[in-house]
Amino acid sequence: MFGKLSLLFEEFFIFIALLLLLLFFGLMTENFFTARTFAAILTQLPALTVVTIGMTLVLISGGIDLSVGSVVALSAGVIGIAFTVLELPLPLAAILGILAGGCAGLINGFLGSYLRLPVFIVTLGMLEAGRGMAYLVTDSQTVYIGASIQALSLPISGIGVSASFLIALGLVVLAQYVLTRTVVGRYLIAIGTNEQAAKVSGIRTEPYLMWVLVVSGLLAGLGGLMNAAYLGASDPNAATGLELSAIAAAVIGGTSLMGGRGSIVGAFIGVLIISVLQNGLAQMGVSEPVKRLITGLVIILAVLIDRWRSRDQ
Amino acid sequence: MTARLAIKGLNKSFAVPVLKQLSLQIAPGSIHGLVGENGAGKSTLTNIICGLLAADSADLAVDGRAYQPRSRSDALAEGLALASQELSLIETLSVEENIMLSSLPQNAVGIDRRAVRQQARALMGLVGLEQLTPQTPLARLSLAEKQLVELAKALAMPEDRIKLLILDEPTSALTSPQADRIHEIIKRRASSGLSVLYISHRLEDVLDVCDTVSVLREGVIQLTAASSTLNSNDLIRGMSGEDLLQHSEDEPRDTGSLRLSIEQLSSADFPEPISLQCHRGEIIGIAGLAGAGRSELLHAIYGLAADRRGRVVLSKSGADVLVDSASTAAKNGMALIAEDRKSQGIFSGKSISFNSTVAGLDRLSGNLGSILPRREQNVSEELIARLKIKCDGALQAIDRLSGGNQQKVLIARWLQSESDVWLLDEPTRGVDVGSKLAIHDQLRELRDQGAAMLIVSSELEELTALCDRILVLSNKKAVATFERGQWSKESLLAAAFSEHQGERALAG
Repeated sequence: MFGKLSLLFEEFFIFIALLLLLLFFGLMTENFFTARTFAAILTQLPALTVVTIGMTLVLISGGIDLSVGSVVALSAGVIGIAFTVLELPLPLAAILGILAGGCAGLINGFLGSYLRLPVFIVTLGMLEAGRGMAYLVTDSQTVYIGASIQALSLPISGIGVSASFLIALGLVVLAQYVLTRTVVGRYLIAIGTNEQAAKVSGIRTEPYLMWVLVVSGLLAGLGGLMNAAYLGASDPNAATGLELSAIAAAVIGGTSLMGGRGSIVGAFIGVLIISVLQNGLAQMGVSEPVKRLITGLVIILAVLIDRWRSRDQ
Repeated sequence: MTARLAIKGLNKSFAVPVLKQLSLQIAPGSIHGLVGENGAGKSTLTNIICGLLAADSADLAVDGRAYQPRSRSDALAEGLALASQELSLIETLSVEENIMLSSLPQNAVGIDRRAVRQQARALMGLVGLEQLTPQTPLARLSLAEKQLVELAKALAMPEDRIKLLILDEPTSALTSPQADRIHEIIKRRASSGLSVLYISHRLEDVLDVCDTVSVLREGVIQLTAASSTLNSNDLIRGMSGEDLLQHSEDEPRDTGSLRLSIEQLSSADFPEPISLQCHRGEIIGIAGLAGAGRSELLHAIYGLAADRRGRVVLSKSGADVLVDSASTAAKNGMALIAEDRKSQGIFSGKSISFNSTVAGLDRLSGNLGSILPRREQNVSEELIARLKIKCDGALQAIDRLSGGNQQKVLIARWLQSESDVWLLDEPTRGVDVGSKLAIHDQLRELRDQGAAMLIVSSELEELTALCDRILVLSNKKAVATFERGQWSKESLLAAAFSEHQGERALAG
């Protein structure tokens, strides 16, 4: 859309914030600008990135998906069991895991859009139920998968980044395109801005509101695959609280919790800011409690800046 | 005599000056009318008086004492009450709680429920809401009822404390009898000393109700005079700086082939089945009192109503389409412009371009549903030029436009999707005179191009100026149809009241 000029500016703004953050850690610590730091950041990134893409789309449509962390664990569990116990080939196991995420999203979406239950409550229920299913599937044990899956998250020689990262990056570009340049994206924004006006404009809102949660579920399923690849194992306790990181990243990137406004590229920069912050603070020797305190303050600061900026417009 | 409210040298600029060295005096016990086009500065002025906006410089006095409001509560403490066009009500609270919100009676343990109910009931009786239960949640009320609640809320201030009542478009959603009742109330209150600032686009009302009228144009009071010395044309000339006479046609016109047929349609909100046919090049008006089911009928036709029965068929070049949802309606050339622009029309915070293309994006998209940015830009700029929308370009947020220009954007939305069956609900509500005439011309042009239209309006003058036929609803039933040339204001009103005889006796 040609409102992209202002959108570009918004993304530009947080991009500068990211650069300042990098500069800050570069000056404050001795070994920040090293391959090891960035390797660490890049291997952790993909799962949060794909989950955040789904979350951002859901938030823009006026909803929320609190179940993504549990769905990541469920998907990882399904992959681990399908591969080790059922002895399915890894690609098939991976597809089953992603589809498990899609099923969770389908339940969320159907209840939320066609039965008109509040999405907040439905996905809160799925947050519990999904985690329970993850424990059931794995019998509450971490399932060791091994090197075959880890290949996904190891740097590809010659490029220096992992296949997971490339997939995540590709999805960022694709989702940003869908959001800003396609009818589907425009409808999501319209529905999130004013659902009633969208209906009057002839948009059938239910399918969009359902499918956006299915997409979020599928992306959480993919996040489960990436998480299992990173760990080399399926951990039923994995990704606890990931939904909050994803919401934080989206909000830092300029997405409104009221719906109707947001950017995938912005959310991706939000993911980068959170990751850089975590790693940089760790390198400075900041303790875990203080790290969380600072991360929390950064989220609030981001909302304050966003408020101030949108008033300015 | 000391003025109740005296304003001297008021200046206020946003990006550009909105009010320039404005001076205005309202006498005690006077009903002072204020008219002006949208964008003339009326809302800015009321917001400053009520402490919602700070003036750049101003000399305000209430009863001769300097008055410098910093917040709405300062204004309330001074005895200045406001019933705003943008209703200040809370949807989740009950009618009685909304009415009494600014001055909830307390007892030892909390809110004095009994006192709330008693006072609220009295105020509801006063404004004509006696048929409602005070505990009804506000969200269930129609727009007209909400407007009456807003008035009751403004009148909730004790009579010995209230000095000036500011009414901003208090009757825009009301029918004539409801408005008359409100006018009686303020005349009575004024005779016992209350001053009223009455802002309205309904010029006849202003001349009828007010003793003094001021005309605001471009931030300056152009004229202040006793209403007995003025007529509508004087006001229009003052507001626009030119003569605007509404032209209307008296000859019946020929219409084209059948485009829309409604067969035995009913819904949860409109239980009595109705049948109606609208042809190409025909405008059918729908008249009736507020609550007569006019909006509900349009919603049912458009496929939005719950428990919808009967058939709505769109005929185009021999092929018939059954309308079973809003999406089918929109895809087959039907357009709905709803009464409540804010909640059912505009996408707030989004650009004019976004708002004007959302219903016809398939016409702007290439393969795989990609929107072509260049085409979108061209199309929205064309629409802005065609409808003469006053704006700073297609990327400006729609919220920044005046009500009339927002309405034009909504018309643009359906022009862009090439609609030729239009359902318009109060298309010129809260719209200034200039935009109103422009919208009327646009509708006539569409009609001449072969569109079929249904128009709901509370202003009979609007219907008689535009329509070929007028259908009158009363108490959710179709009671009469008049052809052009057969109607009179009296016969239309009589039909509108025909199913309300009992209630009318009560209200009288």
